[in-house]
Amino acid sequence: MNSGYPKWAPYVFVTPFVAVFAVFMAYPMLYSVVLSLQQTFGPKRSQFVFLDNFSYLLTDPLFWKAMWNTFVFAAGSVFIQLPLSLGLAMLLNHPKVRGRIFFRLIFFAPALVGTVFIAIMFGLMFSRDGLINFTFHGLFAGFDPEFPWLERFVMGSLILAALWQFVGFNMIYFLAALQNVSKDLTEAAMVDGAGPWPRFLNVTIPAIRPVASFVVLLSLIGSFQLFELAWVLLNNSGGPNDQGLTVVMYLYQSGFINGKLGYASAIGWVLAVLLMCFALIQHRVGRAGEES
Amino acid sequence: MPRWFRLIFLLVPRESLSVGGWIICGLALTSSIAVLSWPIPQHQGLEFWIFSKGHGDLYETTLTQWNSEKDPKVDMSLLSNEALRQRMLASFLTDTPAADLMEVERNFVPQAFTGPIEDVGFVDLTDRLKQEGIYEQLNEPSFAPWTSRGRIFGLPHDVHPMMLVYRADVFEAAGIDLTQVKTWDEFARVVRPLVKDRNGDGITDYVIGMWATGAFRDHLEALLLQAGGALFDEHDQMQINTEVNAHVLATLVSWMVGPDRIAVDAPEFDAPANKMRLDGRVIAALMPDWLGGVWQMDMPGLSGKVKVMPMPAWEPGGRRTSVWGGTMLGIAKTTEDLESTWAFAKHLYLSEEVAEGLYRSNMIISPVKSFWDRPFYDEPVVYFSGQPYGRLYIELAPDVPIRTSSPFNTYAKDRVANALFRLKEYALETKQYSPDELMDEAHRQLEAAERLVRRQVEQNVFLRSEP
Repeated sequence: MNSGYPKWAPYVFVTPFVAVFAVFMAYPMLYSVVLSLQQTFGPKRSQFVFLDNFSYLLTDPLFWKAMWNTFVFAAGSVFIQLPLSLGLAMLLNHPKVRGRIFFRLIFFAPALVGTVFIAIMFGLMFSRDGLINFTFHGLFAGFDPEFPWLERFVMGSLILAALWQFVGFNMIYFLAALQNVSKDLTEAAMVDGAGPWPRFLNVTIPAIRPVASFVVLLSLIGSFQLFELAWVLLNNSGGPNDQGLTVVMYLYQSGFINGKLGYASAIGWVLAVLLMCFALIQHRVGRAGEES
Repeated sequence: MPRWFRLIFLLVPRESLSVGGWIICGLALTSSIAVLSWPIPQHQGLEFWIFSKGHGDLYETTLTQWNSEKDPKVDMSLLSNEALRQRMLASFLTDTPAADLMEVERNFVPQAFTGPIEDVGFVDLTDRLKQEGIYEQLNEPSFAPWTSRGRIFGLPHDVHPMMLVYRADVFEAAGIDLTQVKTWDEFARVVRPLVKDRNGDGITDYVIGMWATGAFRDHLEALLLQAGGALFDEHDQMQINTEVNAHVLATLVSWMVGPDRIAVDAPEFDAPANKMRLDGRVIAALMPDWLGGVWQMDMPGLSGKVKVMPMPAWEPGGRRTSVWGGTMLGIAKTTEDLESTWAFAKHLYLSEEVAEGLYRSNMIISPVKSFWDRPFYDEPVVYFSGQPYGRLYIELAPDVPIRTSSPFNTYAKDRVANALFRLKEYALETKQYSPDELMDEAHRQLEAAERLVRRQVEQNVFLRSEP
């Protein structure tokens, strides 16, 4: 069928996007591959070191420490934050809860606050004479009034701060999914005598599975990109003994503080491959779930 | 309708977009053309980047005077420290435009030294400084952070000797004459009776702000330098696991944990820590000259209550000062008028007027030795209980230790700060708190730090081949 448009019209429409994508995405990505195989000092000095950056990375204790810390943070996000988000969503989806809309807003509100501000706020709360020590010392007389949270509880502090920021944000996804759970199915299960727990396992969970797996993937990617929160909370460092050093923080330190752009590119590519693997696993798991 | 306009409809049929769509396209096209045709402002004269507003205010008069008398004119821009660092590196590493002159902070300059010496983005000033006699006019240790492989790349802005600041009112009330204290061991012993709940809030109060976290890595470096240790020597050769460094680490840990604890976590530029100082919960700290200006601004409540004295030495008769911070004025190689830029740099940094302003506004003493006898340095400072603050620092200036300009220094400082933290944890676990008991573990931790730094140094293919 003749649409009346010249054959090349679609190309004209996509050209601006392709041009912008090529210049600002594709070229930098490809160049970062080249960079990861080099050591450079300015445009005039570069030396191919081939896989040297990658082999250095594999034996770099700091990289593995950063990777471990990031995994711990991601695990905290997935196993603490998401169940809490789901729980909150179920609570605020219940018709008998009064002021649901108000509480939805309250729980979502921290997601509107800037990460740097949150980091500063939690930094003050976790400081030696901060609100947390003040409260605990007031409640429990034996509690050390100067407990060094940001020395002894670095990852816990980060997880807690992220929890406060994102629990409401993820709750919104679950809330939207819960509102789409078929009432017919739930009622049929009730008629069949299913209690709340079997209904949750056999009706609610399968119904929200696509959204849940999307939220898990989003949380994982977000966790692996953790930077500003930790960077500001830990005073522009990885914290005492690098207990809060994350992969992206290490990438930044390597590239922009130590000037090793090639090494930073190598870290970036390892992170990218890792996230691709997560996405692939999530895709497979999601599809297996749908098929079953 | 103009003919060219009709061409658009040849390309995209008129019916393919709604009226709104065509308006949006028109606006997008017009704004794109407007942006592309906007003239890029061409810079006139010399460009000068600074990161400190205090410096900027100070230079204003000199700059106005220069611009009214000389050509080319100088245009000064205030950037944040981080922005200046990024733009400096972007310029050196990717050939993007940079200022002719840049004031750069000490922690950022070594990043320009990670490549071959001929590729450093700053102009090598060594020969000029020596031929024009400027090298002899300035305090020699002040050149060290801007010197790489024997070549000097910046004019020093300061000296930044360090002293010990203490709450004179608290110590006098306790009957302790701190000025008689000559060594750190003596200091720890003398101040220990003050480690108690001094304000009756049920919490033990300690004496000095010093801790095993990243925020104190500059303190740590200063204390290592004072003791005669450091992470790199003046030739940028690594020297991390040494007897001196291990002794400093072990001693610091003995101040942080255990029965002889005197130190507390109270970093500078930190509101809760400032409150601790104002409340008298921290009554001593290490103070480079510039920090005096910061304290006056941030904690006016301490006016007349604090005094400075030379730092206690690590051994009898040892060095009573150290160094923390620093700024240089560098000329970018990309400058098109090197002679004028150099003339302005000298005019600014060797000016007595600027030196006096620098002291009066920021409490920073000049590196120009011939100004050191000026009477303004002898004026009593009310904040420091009427002490001649400038004179006290000048007396220590020649003794400031030499610092490295190694590009790996920041990395090494972080690793050694971590070693200190692990040593503190070890002390808590094993309940061994005395420096002698901690020495072996201090060596082990420093050895681990040294291994990491060595790997980092050896990976750099550009510096590997240089002597």
